[in-house]
Amino acid sequence: MSFLAPMAFLFAATIPVVVVFYLLKRKRVVKLVSSTLLWQKFLAETQASAPFQKLRRNWLLILQVLLLALAVLALSRPFFKTKAKPAQLRVVILDASASMQATDEMPSRFEKARAEALQWVDGLAGNDQMVILQAGANTEVKQSATSEKAALRRALQACVCSDSTTRLVPALKMAESLVRDHKDAEIHLFSDGAVPELSELENQDLPLVFHRVGKSSNNLGVVALDVRANPENAGQRAVYASVGNFSTNAQQSGLELLLDDRLLETRPLNIPAGETSPQVFLANQDRDGVFTVRLTGKDDLAVDDQASIVSLLPKPVKVLLVSRGNRFLEKALRAVPNVELSTANDLNDTGTDFDFVVLDDIPPTVWPKGNVLAIHVVNTNWLEGVTKVEAPAIVDWKTAHPLLRYAGFDNVQVAESFTTKAPTWAVSLVDGPQLSLIVAGELGRQRIIWVGFDVLQSTWPLRLAFPIFIANAVEWLNPANTRGSHLLVKAGDPFRLALNEPQTNAQVVFPNGTIRTLRVDPQANELVFGETYKQGIYHLRLGTNESAFCVDLLDAAESNIKPRDALQLGKYTRVTATTLQRANMELWRSIASIGLGVLLFEWWYYHRRTA
Amino acid sequence: MSTQPFLTPELLRRLQQFQLLAARRAKSSAKGERRSRARGQSVEFADYRTYVHGDDFRYLDWNLYGRLERLFLKLYEEERELPVRIFLDASESMTFGEPRKFDFARQVAAAVGYVALSGFDRVSVVPFPHRANGDAPEPATTKAEMAARGALRSVRGKKSAIQFFQNLGELTAGGVANLNDALRRGALEARQAGVAVVLSDCLDPAGYEAGLTALVARGFQVDLVQILAPEELAPTTFGDLRLVDSETGGHQEVTFGRFRLKTYQQTVRNFIQRLREFCQGRGINFFTASSGMSLEELLLRQLRQAEVWG
Repeated sequence: MSFLAPMAFLFAATIPVVVVFYLLKRKRVVKLVSSTLLWQKFLAETQASAPFQKLRRNWLLILQVLLLALAVLALSRPFFKTKAKPAQLRVVILDASASMQATDEMPSRFEKARAEALQWVDGLAGNDQMVILQAGANTEVKQSATSEKAALRRALQACVCSDSTTRLVPALKMAESLVRDHKDAEIHLFSDGAVPELSELENQDLPLVFHRVGKSSNNLGVVALDVRANPENAGQRAVYASVGNFSTNAQQSGLELLLDDRLLETRPLNIPAGETSPQVFLANQDRDGVFTVRLTGKDDLAVDDQASIVSLLPKPVKVLLVSRGNRFLEKALRAVPNVELSTANDLNDTGTDFDFVVLDDIPPTVWPKGNVLAIHVVNTNWLEGVTKVEAPAIVDWKTAHPLLRYAGFDNVQVAESFTTKAPTWAVSLVDGPQLSLIVAGELGRQRIIWVGFDVLQSTWPLRLAFPIFIANAVEWLNPANTRGSHLLVKAGDPFRLALNEPQTNAQVVFPNGTIRTLRVDPQANELVFGETYKQGIYHLRLGTNESAFCVDLLDAAESNIKPRDALQLGKYTRVTATTLQRANMELWRSIASIGLGVLLFEWWYYHRRTA
Repeated sequence: MSTQPFLTPELLRRLQQFQLLAARRAKSSAKGERRSRARGQSVEFADYRTYVHGDDFRYLDWNLYGRLERLFLKLYEEERELPVRIFLDASESMTFGEPRKFDFARQVAAAVGYVALSGFDRVSVVPFPHRANGDAPEPATTKAEMAARGALRSVRGKKSAIQFFQNLGELTAGGVANLNDALRRGALEARQAGVAVVLSDCLDPAGYEAGLTALVARGFQVDLVQILAPEELAPTTFGDLRLVDSETGGHQEVTFGRFRLKTYQQTVRNFIQRLREFCQGRGINFFTASSGMSLEELLLRQLRQAEVWG
């Protein structure tokens, strides 16, 4: 035997209360009378002398009958069918992203959404089933299809709001797969609507019901953070932060910069509504540390008021140039600040002593394992179908790529070049008529820039773009930069770290001090840690080394907590927020409450009339 | 004690006009002013009787002898007195009420006694519970009261009225009464039956039937005045009560509210109705009175209408 509402047994606690009422000994007033004869006759006549008597209007009787009727009504668990139509399967998606932590709904949007979802669980009728999905950084199935309300309530109570961005598409796709074969199924999304593009779902015809939570959008948030060497002073670091105002009014606040919890600078902010304010701090740094920017004002969303970034001190970049002699290239490399250039005619080892290797028209004896700028050499392990073309015309180049920043290919002619189709691990930077002339990408953990032509067989070195490209390449290939970028992950994204030596275990210290020990496969060359649901500074202990990495939100879409009236699925599909409320509203609790009130009134009335 | 506490002069004046109406002939052996079945000296002619030797010549009817030449003796009705016994309930329960039931009963006794004395009837007041000399007297029972009780056993003549009132005033109430025993004893002790006026609240747990039946059987013309206190007719104390019986000491727990007042009053009416039906079945004049009611209402209207006196 099971109970739909086992909590109702708590009402049994009222039984001792009633018993106590009757246990109470009534204090009687002693009165001397001439004779008790008349009273005895009176009591004898009023007490039952026959099994039945004529019904008289007695308020106590009416109250008790009313009480009994209410109790019976409550036990029958009546409910109203409201506007919501009954569905065989309801998939509940609970948005657990950072914006749901906004406190414009008390105590938070997430709690409000959870409470509404719980009401839907209460309204689940008969054998209807429900699925609970939590959409945070990942989509989690908290409860598979069931009609057991206790399990559904437990699943909802187990949902936790994360600091990550909303990734609704996987959740909706999963929900779509669940409801695909169910007639009259519904997907109920409890969210504030602060979600990224959902155009993938445009033509899915989802039976989506959007339950909007959230009232206002009073929020300032750090939406971008970066740290670099100050180009004007190599001894300084430039911290770039961008603060967005997502409120409907101009906002004033203060922005603090901290280095390892040491306050360096505070500056006031006054940001108009809807604007973003870029802020650059210059700070001296003598050792590796963590910069934190923090907004001092109070707003509805706290999670985006702070962001941290690991800043590693720049080290000289060790570059090995393997060349028969290329003054343009060598000069361009030496022009890049902080580069220690070595030259060689051949490469006999893997070049692990250098940060990266430049192969200039010399196929090495041993291909380097580190990052490579390969010019006019062919490695069939990297590329397939390399062909040689005469005087290829340069038809296009990717100006948006960091390598081609300020480095165009206008007026560059090439006498002869290898060309190839860009492999899957790389992107084509410079396109010839049919194939690519320059590609760049990351193969495994090795960054490779492949230039198909000999620069000396082109007019490229004569152009201003050449040294800029080389400078961009040095920055892009510098593993320190790569490592630095890996030390900042967005909440919910996995943290990855290359392992140079075999490790068996590692320890991660969470921002709240919790320590998690990870077992590492000794064969693995990469450590992956996925529990980055909360923002803050994490510390990783690996062997004797300890390093820090930062988990931040840094997402303008998530910081924009304005509740949306509709979800835009692509260009033509909109799902407006529903105004329908819970279905099958059960009334037994109200009736039981009224019954209790009637019981107390009856007790009071009985004693009042005898007074 | 003056007569003032009992009866006003105006009431006495009006009572003086009344005479107890006895349905039966007086059976007393003492001479009085009531017609009796006995033959004796009076002005009321009763019958003739043939002269026998030794009869008093003064009663011979000479006119009849002249016509019939036979001697006949004229017989006259002997006028005898009417014994009036007043059974006065002086138990503890009669001390209740405002005014007290006992005071009201004494007023009625005084009025009945006064009417009887005015009619040259013999009045005897029997207060009960009986306090004989051998009994352990109640603490409040004084010698004066014992003397008054003795004096009240037989009172005759209008001139004794003041003393009668004074003796009534000496009586006190208290103790446990047994109505049946008192009436039975009174019936047995009476040498001649007469008028019995019973003044009681009739709230005896043992009942009233046996006593009243004994009086009727003895030949008394019984008038029963049940006196109840206003508090007994319509209680004004409500709540959870523990009622203690003043005579028996027994207690009764009752939860009494205004909503049950009507039910209680119906119980009292039922009790009175049963008593009335009992009395009607035995030719007893029954009256019920509240100690708070007007004495004139009872004496001048109810008793007169019932032809207790006229």
